[in-house]
Amino acid sequence: MAIFGRSALLLAFVAAAVGICLALGAHSRRSRSWQASAERAVYATFAFTTLAVGTLWAGLLGDHFELRNVADYSNRALPTRFKFSALWGSQAGSLLLWCWILSIFAALAVWLNRRRNRELMPIVVAILMGVAIFFTGVLSFVTSPFETLASTPADGTGLNPLLQNPYMVIHPPLLYLGYVGLSVPFAFAMAALVTRRVDTQWIVAVRRWTILSWLFLGSGILLGSRWAYEELGWGGYWAWDPVENAALMPWLVATAFLHSVMVQERRGMLKVWNMSLVTLTFSLSLFGTFLTRSGLLSSIHAFGQSTLGPYFLGLIIVVAGGAIGLIISRLSSLRSEHGLESFVSREGIFLFNNLLLVGLAAIVFFGTMYPVFTEATVNRKIAVGPSYFEQLAVPIGVALLILTGVGPLVAWRKASLAQLRRRFVAPLVVAVVGGALLILTPAWDHWVAGLVFTAGIFVVACVTGEFIRGTQTRHRLGGVSWPGALIQLVSRNRRRFGGYIVHLGVVLVFVALAGSKSFAKETDLALLPGESADAIGYTFVNECLPAGVTPPAGQPNPCPRVSNANERSVVLRLGVFKDGKRVVTLTPGRRIYVVSQQPSTEVGLSSTPARDYYAVLNEMIPGKAAKLSVFINPLVMWLWLSGLLIVFGGLVAAWPTRRATRLARAAEPSGTQVA
Amino acid sequence: MTLALGSGALGWVSVAALAALGLLGAVAVAWPLLASGDADELAGREEAPEHVRAREDLSRSLTALREIAFDHACGNLSDEDFSRLDTTERATAVRLMRQIDAFDAKTGEAA
Repeated sequence: MAIFGRSALLLAFVAAAVGICLALGAHSRRSRSWQASAERAVYATFAFTTLAVGTLWAGLLGDHFELRNVADYSNRALPTRFKFSALWGSQAGSLLLWCWILSIFAALAVWLNRRRNRELMPIVVAILMGVAIFFTGVLSFVTSPFETLASTPADGTGLNPLLQNPYMVIHPPLLYLGYVGLSVPFAFAMAALVTRRVDTQWIVAVRRWTILSWLFLGSGILLGSRWAYEELGWGGYWAWDPVENAALMPWLVATAFLHSVMVQERRGMLKVWNMSLVTLTFSLSLFGTFLTRSGLLSSIHAFGQSTLGPYFLGLIIVVAGGAIGLIISRLSSLRSEHGLESFVSREGIFLFNNLLLVGLAAIVFFGTMYPVFTEATVNRKIAVGPSYFEQLAVPIGVALLILTGVGPLVAWRKASLAQLRRRFVAPLVVAVVGGALLILTPAWDHWVAGLVFTAGIFVVACVTGEFIRGTQTRHRLGGVSWPGALIQLVSRNRRRFGGYIVHLGVVLVFVALAGSKSFAKETDLALLPGESADAIGYTFVNECLPAGVTPPAGQPNPCPRVSNANERSVVLRLGVFKDGKRVVTLTPGRRIYVVSQQPSTEVGLSSTPARDYYAVLNEMIPGKAAKLSVFINPLVMWLWLSGLLIVFGGLVAAWPTRRATRLARAAEPSGTQVA
Repeated sequence: MTLALGSGALGWVSVAALAALGLLGAVAVAWPLLASGDADELAGREEAPEHVRAREDLSRSLTALREIAFDHACGNLSDEDFSRLDTTERATAVRLMRQIDAFDAKTGEAA
């Protein structure tokens, strides 16, 4: 099995190397047959990487403990779904996943562009295969997922308990889909520079790739937060941890890129800026993998550290250095076709939004890397706390939220005062009235939260106003029913209205963040069975039976202890009461995994639209008071729901229109394929 | 799945199968090079950069005209603003169409 896996990876490496040579040959000779061969090498890279991944999965599912990766990250008692996800539990396995997704995307990019963008494709293939060579090379010659042990153990040591969570089955692949997906826009951008086709062709080619990669990355971040919330048991979902920040940075820059490409498409401006953003986005996605894998900074999310750092650093330098050199060499072709006529214009707002997003990414980068900088200068790692990030991120975030509403309503080129009045009076009135009504609630107890809620009302008023006016017009002009008019409105301009739906999701994110950060309450309790305590506005009751007391016949033990081959666990039943009425029953627990003897916290969680009730069992020894931490976290549910809305809006925006498909087909030159 | 593919004859059979796959892949990759005919030029656009730019500007202008009309119908633009923006954008679109026609005529003559 090890030989098979290693050979498959080696073949993938050779196929990628051959692909690069053929693609560069196709570019220099302008040869269709060379390009056809290069594209077949891409498919071969995909096939051999898939074989390698399949082999490792077979090893994990078949308990082949002669493989170090299986012995170290799995065991016989591990549930099948976690044996499946153990592939990305290890460093080599997660790099194999990266490489596999890259090979899938490269094959998909080649297939989707088999009849279009032909002059860009040789360089696109060369760049994607260049990245594939790096990963297959590292996996073949530096850290192999198919390393074998001198003697085969009877059982493995098992997967890290923190990774035995359903979110860990889906979170890393989503994150990697986002990271790797951003390599395709980068490859097209570089191809446009090399071929001097710096018009909007490459932007049209990568629009959907960018939106989908952005969605994958965003969903991965959100699911990672959900995992941290449920699994780490500290009461929160975001700690400004280096690995969290590593995923946030490319997402922020990709968000800026998604907006600035519209300026290039509509006004032929910001060409250098767009090239720089796409380079920065991909470099940051490599940096994210580097940060997770290098051991440079300690993180609650890093589960395998190694000496791969220098290799990744080398790749980042090659990618960023090469791209910067190419951009500089093409500066004359990248001149803007039009100037900025007014700052009060859509492009002006987008520029401001871009500066804020990139500025925020820079702040996150500086804060994340601060321990590295201090170690280099004062020989001591000094980390900045969450307060650094929050103090700087909050004002930028509020400004971005307001721009989310303002941007779509301001006209391109130059907005007149009359236009601004016409479009902003109603949303401003709604926001002022809404903000005033919030005085009736505790919202303004924290002025930042009050400001965010009011800004959220403003954005919702702006966006719903667009939907209402658009639907009314379609209804009037098209003579269709109201629902029909709404569907027609969205389907005829999916990108615009899909974007508006995403903006509504962004409002929910801000509302959830403001609510949960400003109004969270927490307390520590020590309760004997049957004992109660009043704290943070609630009464908490330990509803376990005292030691030696058995439950009445036919009734289950309220606090069962479980012991099986994989784990030993204990659960506490905590009744939460308000004004004498039961609000919710929580069942926090603790679990010890038998093989690794590692303890794990099982959060007791009940979510409602208004607040989450969240309890963590810190200690439960028979005969002693159980020690608990209890949190009341308002509005957290809306953070997870916002993800659904953003994904829906993103899919609407990325969905191809019939007109776009027709135009793409019309643009296909005939006879571009070699049989 | 319980077969130890890495040991014994079966392991080598699987590696031999992979070698055969590798060989097949090499043939598949090389085939277009071996079978290429006379028409081997990589397809691409032959338009001059200023021609491409004019087409893109026209596309932008037409999009802007559609958006202006829709915004006016929605009540987002006053009649006065609509008239001003629409007239300017139409003039731009007409100028670009003439420019593209001139390019096309020149390309036709050259061909």
